[in-house]
Amino acid sequence: MNSAAPRRRVRKAAAVITASLLAGTAAVTALRAVRRRPASLRLRRGLAAAGLAVRGGMRYAASAPKLFAAAGEARQELRHDLALQTAEDVTETLGEMKGVLMKLGQMASFIDDGLNPAVRKTLSRLQDSVPPMSPELAAGMITEELGRPPEQVFAQWDPEPIAAASIGQVHRAITRDGRAVAVKVQYPGIAETIAADLNNAALLRRMLRLVAPAQDVDALLDELRERVREELDYRREATSQQQIAAYYRGHPTIHVPDVIPELSTRRIVTSELAGGVRFAELATWPQEERDLAAETIYRFVFRSLYEVHAFNGDPHPGNYLFHPGGRVTFLDFGLVKHFTDDELWPLMQMARYLCVERDEEGFRRNLELAGFLTPGAPVSTEQVIERLAVFYATIRTPGRLTITEDYASSVVRQFFDVRSPLAPYMKVPRSYVILQRINLGLFAVLGQLHATADWRRIAEEIWPFVQAPPSTPMGEAETAWRASRPRPGRPGPAQPAAAGPSSSV
Amino acid sequence: MTADAFATASGLVERTAAAFVSGVPDDPADDGFFGPGSVTWRLGRDLAGTVAGLRALLMQSLHPLAMAGVDEHSGWREDPVGRLAATGAYVTIVTYGERAAAERAAARVRRIHTHVRGTDPVTGQPYAADDPALLLWVHAALVDAGLATAELLGTPLSAADADRYVAEMVAAAVLVGIPEPMAPDSVAALDAYITSVRPVLQASPAARESMAYLLDPPGLDEDIAEIWQDIRDAAVLALPAWARELHGFADPPPITPERRTEIRQALGVLDAVQLGEPGVLEARQRITLRMRSAVRS
Repeated sequence: MNSAAPRRRVRKAAAVITASLLAGTAAVTALRAVRRRPASLRLRRGLAAAGLAVRGGMRYAASAPKLFAAAGEARQELRHDLALQTAEDVTETLGEMKGVLMKLGQMASFIDDGLNPAVRKTLSRLQDSVPPMSPELAAGMITEELGRPPEQVFAQWDPEPIAAASIGQVHRAITRDGRAVAVKVQYPGIAETIAADLNNAALLRRMLRLVAPAQDVDALLDELRERVREELDYRREATSQQQIAAYYRGHPTIHVPDVIPELSTRRIVTSELAGGVRFAELATWPQEERDLAAETIYRFVFRSLYEVHAFNGDPHPGNYLFHPGGRVTFLDFGLVKHFTDDELWPLMQMARYLCVERDEEGFRRNLELAGFLTPGAPVSTEQVIERLAVFYATIRTPGRLTITEDYASSVVRQFFDVRSPLAPYMKVPRSYVILQRINLGLFAVLGQLHATADWRRIAEEIWPFVQAPPSTPMGEAETAWRASRPRPGRPGPAQPAAAGPSSSV
Repeated sequence: MTADAFATASGLVERTAAAFVSGVPDDPADDGFFGPGSVTWRLGRDLAGTVAGLRALLMQSLHPLAMAGVDEHSGWREDPVGRLAATGAYVTIVTYGERAAAERAAARVRRIHTHVRGTDPVTGQPYAADDPALLLWVHAALVDAGLATAELLGTPLSAADADRYVAEMVAAAVLVGIPEPMAPDSVAALDAYITSVRPVLQASPAARESMAYLLDPPGLDEDIAEIWQDIRDAAVLALPAWARELHGFADPPPITPERRTEIRQALGVLDAVQLGEPGVLEARQRITLRMRSAVRS
């Protein structure tokens, strides 16, 4: 196809970027400005696809046996010969810090610079070292949690897992009322083991220093602990997923599988089985499809943040399933952060002052309000903007931009970087550490897709303080969906978005 | 000579891991001298293995003649990590290797031992590394360390399994050149033997010097060094009180469940680090698969 020429350009850009890493502006350079291409064919095709998806709506789901079969075909290869047979095997494999280190590895695998490569290799190796549970052990967990063996709970149950999950595994099944479902089963005893290991803060700090010497260890430690603790209780995940699924029901391109609450417990979460292709296969699709998928992911992240006040912090590309026309199924809600109005408000104001009002002092005030910057720090607002502009590089000005992997990784590095001259006055307040994952989850994935769009104009559609009309065919389809759906369950931020600058201080 | 002049201990993890990988066969012709159903293999998987190795060395060093042989011939000062890795490789081959491989490795060690002779500067006594009495001390210290650390930090063996382990290890004693009747074949016999040797044990200057190196190896990566402190403390904790006294180590407070957990967590990190070395995961998986098929058959 026509991918050869752009690839070369990207590589050249990459060389420039690596030469000037960590300079605040480098990341902005890494965003490749794209000549405005005639909207013609490509957008029309997109429109058609989006329209299709809307019409498809609820009918999209294939029949249960078909989904069940497809999930079996897409089965991940696992080392069944090494399967964990007892709770003791689980402890031996994931106990004594190893489960915690594995989670740390998952975090670290998205921070691709400033990391000791040997350590990173070790951590990713650790993930490879975890085999699945034996069918008996998994069935035992179902019996313990749901009261009856899986063959009685479900009309059909596949004793062999179809995929590994970080602290568990996924089985396919068909419920007694005929729904094809994915059943995530946690490893027995893992919650207790990991909780105990998380208490050894001294050792964890050492590990984090080793993993990411240039990063704010305490912020990382807090995030690691909170993230893992939350993940251990699947009920939290089920609730978040259900809330988000309800919000997006009927959405033209965003699909969140429904949870089956009566088959979900602290250590089991059962949700509707979804079809679609994995990230690796999407990468082989035409760029138009990749751009549409990227647009959906982008809309999902910011709509969820601004309207559901929730952010799904698990950025793993394995947590998406892709369908033609930009339709994306979002999986795994193990790490959803729910923001309070007070937490969300300054964030929104920051974007507003910097990108819309172009009031740099207003931006700074909100930065201080949120706790990112010490009030009255002896640094110029210009310096502050220079340091932070990178996070807003996709949305400060309109125009089509391609997000590159270099941009994605420079954003990630800067978030926790402690070497900046502003570092003494800046910190990431605890409740925003998770936002790192917007960078990880969103920009890392968009960077891998080399996704192009006018991100600013999409943001304007979503920003409650702008609410611009649709800027893309997908935006039009989304507007139609919004018009047709009942009032959202959650209200927007309590403070009026249109309030003037004076009211925000 | 001071510790500063010694070769640094960098590469400790890499080289001991490589030694382990090289000792675990890919497609063995036989199950070796112990086999996947043995207590020896089960103990070999214990997380506390590193502590056991360190405790064994601490005990072994207390025999002045054995220590003199190591000190004057092994070249451990020039390449302490290489010396440790070589010992590790030997133990791995004898444990998991085919019979022929274990016999080859043992023959090589016996051949080297014939050249290790001299006079101990401390006691003035002659020593020879192929002296079964010295070999037996080294053997007994290793077996005893396995039992003691499993008891303290790992998965303790039942009394019957502990006896079985000591009896299994007679094969290792014979390989290195100890006449079979001399090797203890039960925990009681092992304890009695160790008690009988106690009068000759002492921490010679060479023992103090080499053990000081081991307990605080210079040049260890900083973060491994911190973990090593826990492992060192654990090895000292696992020693009998009289051996600690001979070494001049202060008596540590008795181990609490919390401290045991901390030490095991440090061992878990070290284990993860080892797992990151090339081939270690695969070697362990080979062992696991063989142990599983032994259980099934």
